[in-house]
Amino acid sequence: MACSAWLFGGYNPHRSALNIDHANENLYHFPVVCNQCENTYCAKVCPADAIYRDQETGAIVVDQEKCVGCKKEFCHEYCPIKVIHVDPFTRKAYKCDLCGGSPRCVESCPTGALELVVRVNTDQEEDR
Amino acid sequence: MNDGYMGKFLCVDLEAKTSLKLKVPDWLKQDYVGGKGFGAKLLSDLAPPGVDPLGPDNLLMFLTGPLCSTPAPAMRTCVVCKSPATHTFLDSYVGGRFGAEIKFAGYDGIIIRGTASDPVYLWIEDDRIEFRSAAKIWGSDALKANELIKQDLGHQEATVATIGQAGENGVLFSLICCEYNRQAGRGGAGAVMGSKKLKGIAIKGSQLVKVNRPDLFQQAVKKANRDIESAGDCSALTESGTSYAVPWSSSIGLLPYKNHSEQHDPKVNKIDDAAQDKHLFLGKSACFGCPIRCSQMGAVRTGKFASFVTDIIEYETVAMLGSNLAISNIRDIAYLNKLCDTLGMDSISAGAVIAFAFEAAEKELIQSPEKANLEFGSTKAAEHLLKSIALQEDELGKLLGQGVKKAAEQIGHDAPDFALHVKGLEIPGWGVKGSPGMGLAYATADRGACHQRGFPIGYEYGGALYKGEVVEPHSIEKKAEILIGDQNYLAGLDTLIKCDFGAFGVTAQSYIELLNAVTGLERPQSFIDELGERIWNLVRLFNLREGLDTGSDTLPAKLTGKALENGPLKGQRMKSEDLDLMLKEYYMIRNWDREGRPITKHLKQLGLNKERRFSIEKQLIAPENDEVKD
Ligand code: SF4
Ligand code: SF4
Ligand code: SF4
Repeated sequence: MACSAWLFGGYNPHRSALNIDHANENLYHFPVVCNQCENTYCAKVCPADAIYRDQETGAIVVDQEKCVGCKKEFCHEYCPIKVIHVDPFTRKAYKCDLCGGSPRCVESCPTGALELVVRVNTDQEEDR
Repeated sequence: MNDGYMGKFLCVDLEAKTSLKLKVPDWLKQDYVGGKGFGAKLLSDLAPPGVDPLGPDNLLMFLTGPLCSTPAPAMRTCVVCKSPATHTFLDSYVGGRFGAEIKFAGYDGIIIRGTASDPVYLWIEDDRIEFRSAAKIWGSDALKANELIKQDLGHQEATVATIGQAGENGVLFSLICCEYNRQAGRGGAGAVMGSKKLKGIAIKGSQLVKVNRPDLFQQAVKKANRDIESAGDCSALTESGTSYAVPWSSSIGLLPYKNHSEQHDPKVNKIDDAAQDKHLFLGKSACFGCPIRCSQMGAVRTGKFASFVTDIIEYETVAMLGSNLAISNIRDIAYLNKLCDTLGMDSISAGAVIAFAFEAAEKELIQSPEKANLEFGSTKAAEHLLKSIALQEDELGKLLGQGVKKAAEQIGHDAPDFALHVKGLEIPGWGVKGSPGMGLAYATADRGACHQRGFPIGYEYGGALYKGEVVEPHSIEKKAEILIGDQNYLAGLDTLIKCDFGAFGVTAQSYIELLNAVTGLERPQSFIDELGERIWNLVRLFNLREGLDTGSDTLPAKLTGKALENGPLKGQRMKSEDLDLMLKEYYMIRNWDREGRPITKHLKQLGLNKERRFSIEKQLIAPENDEVKD
């Protein structure tokens, strides 16, 4: 919810960049968040070259100017975990941009279930 | 305008298979806020007087409030209709995420009228409303129906509310199941839905809920979350849900045992929170956005009924399907609870009905069926009754499916004396002997015997102070005044729509700060109590209009009968003279006459005399301007 507020200025988890899947009558919950992949499928398939890695935050972000909202929604189609979406109203792709470095979901999670972990890869690339 | 509201009601006519969008007028938002307030006003104005609760003209409404679907902690949804059990106003609250989704679809509430010719379910996706055949889903249980509807739609991510067989068959205490283990349980809303041949509602929305002052709102949410963190009751709920109240209730002597014959269960350690933790709990779950997460999900892994997924066995369920039936195996109780959930019955009333049947059989007023001997302690008999009631298979099931009040009237003899209900709603899992305040709370609650409209036990035994002073548990002094304060305050919060457990922590000041930040209005803290009082009176007027007998503000004979013979409150009783005295005082403080009718002067003070009515025709939004304005 904090996520949709950051992206669109209002609350609706269907328009947030993370999914929480539930299974078995809500016995399990799986938060699904963008991996900020090293092998960035979404960026590779984008015909408009609109997706790039922000050097400061390490997040994979969508250049809203460049995104043409391609009909096939390639980025969504080829994201392995479907965490990049094309907004039905703006016709632009949106995804988790780590809120520019301090994720709102982590900040506003009252239960502490979410936290930002920095994974240091061999090539020193920061990831979630 | 950004004010937390979506600005529209969706009004569905099942008979004509049409839907309308209605404007939520500003005066309605200002005077009634949401939830219970909207429900009281809409039901009063839109339901024809004397409406048959199970007929096409009754309304079934799912209502939200301005704080729902925002990060404001512990908010729920409210289902309102005329109850088939009490023939009066019914507001039943449900968590989960169904209500949140109503707002995401762009509505502040859904109003359902008419009766479909064949079983249907509704599919609401923003502006698109589909009436879909439920022919293949009718007859399935509440959880299966959820699965079938999602399959039929091909939308796993839809949120679905369903009824089970009990609702289809008109059992007067059937519920509406909102995925998965959240139910609008009390008062028979499921039977109203069934009477409309509406098996389910699936909903999904893409609208944004916007608040007026986002920064202030953020702060208010943080503060409310801090209130919750620092409240002992809320941490206990996070730890073990409502099951933590089981040993407490038994130790103070209020846990009903054998149809309220005693208020203490000698085997309580087999059904308490520790037992549940050991045998059931695996992980947690919460309603939409709630930090308390009182739900403890688990599974029954061993024993006769293994294996199945179960939610926590809530306090009320342990009391009503456990101790009150003298059943002390937690897995058995989990199984009976699961039957109630899937068949679609309120476990409180279902438990009360079974206890009543056990006592009636003990007194030889009814005969046990061939397959099971009706006696306290028998899981088999309880299982048999639940199934025969929900499926309405035999005479006994048909008799008991009407609830204890009507069943007792048909049985005759002294059955009405131990049919434990007020106004047709069965008494829940807290004893009244030794807690006169609770007795008065049951007698006066607007929807019949309910423990959520005011809970004086919190003062009498829970250590809550009233105006800084300790409250003497056994005395009747000040009980009317304390109760009225709580009833008004809680009715006010039911417009927002608070979860009772959130209200254990979140303070009145924090609620008002949340509300003001969302709506952009400046309201004082006293607004909640005043609003609650107005709604409480409006509901009373509705109930009187629908033929409420004011003599029904009372308790059944068994509860005002002999003193307790065992347990911590041994020797305590609830005298009917005491109840009468408290009731007199209650009417006086409420400004009601001796018959319990609000006096005209007071109605004027509350602004309930002016005749502003909500009318569908006036609020109709023409389809061509059917746009959501940001
Ligand atoms: S959107 Fe999908 S593909 Fe792109 S970085 Fe995130 S997880 Fe990887
Ligand atoms: S929707 Fe936009 S970002 Fe995604 S692939 Fe198409 S052009 Fe690229
Ligand atoms: S406290 Fe429990 S019932 Fe209440 S909103 Fe939170 S999770 Fe739902």
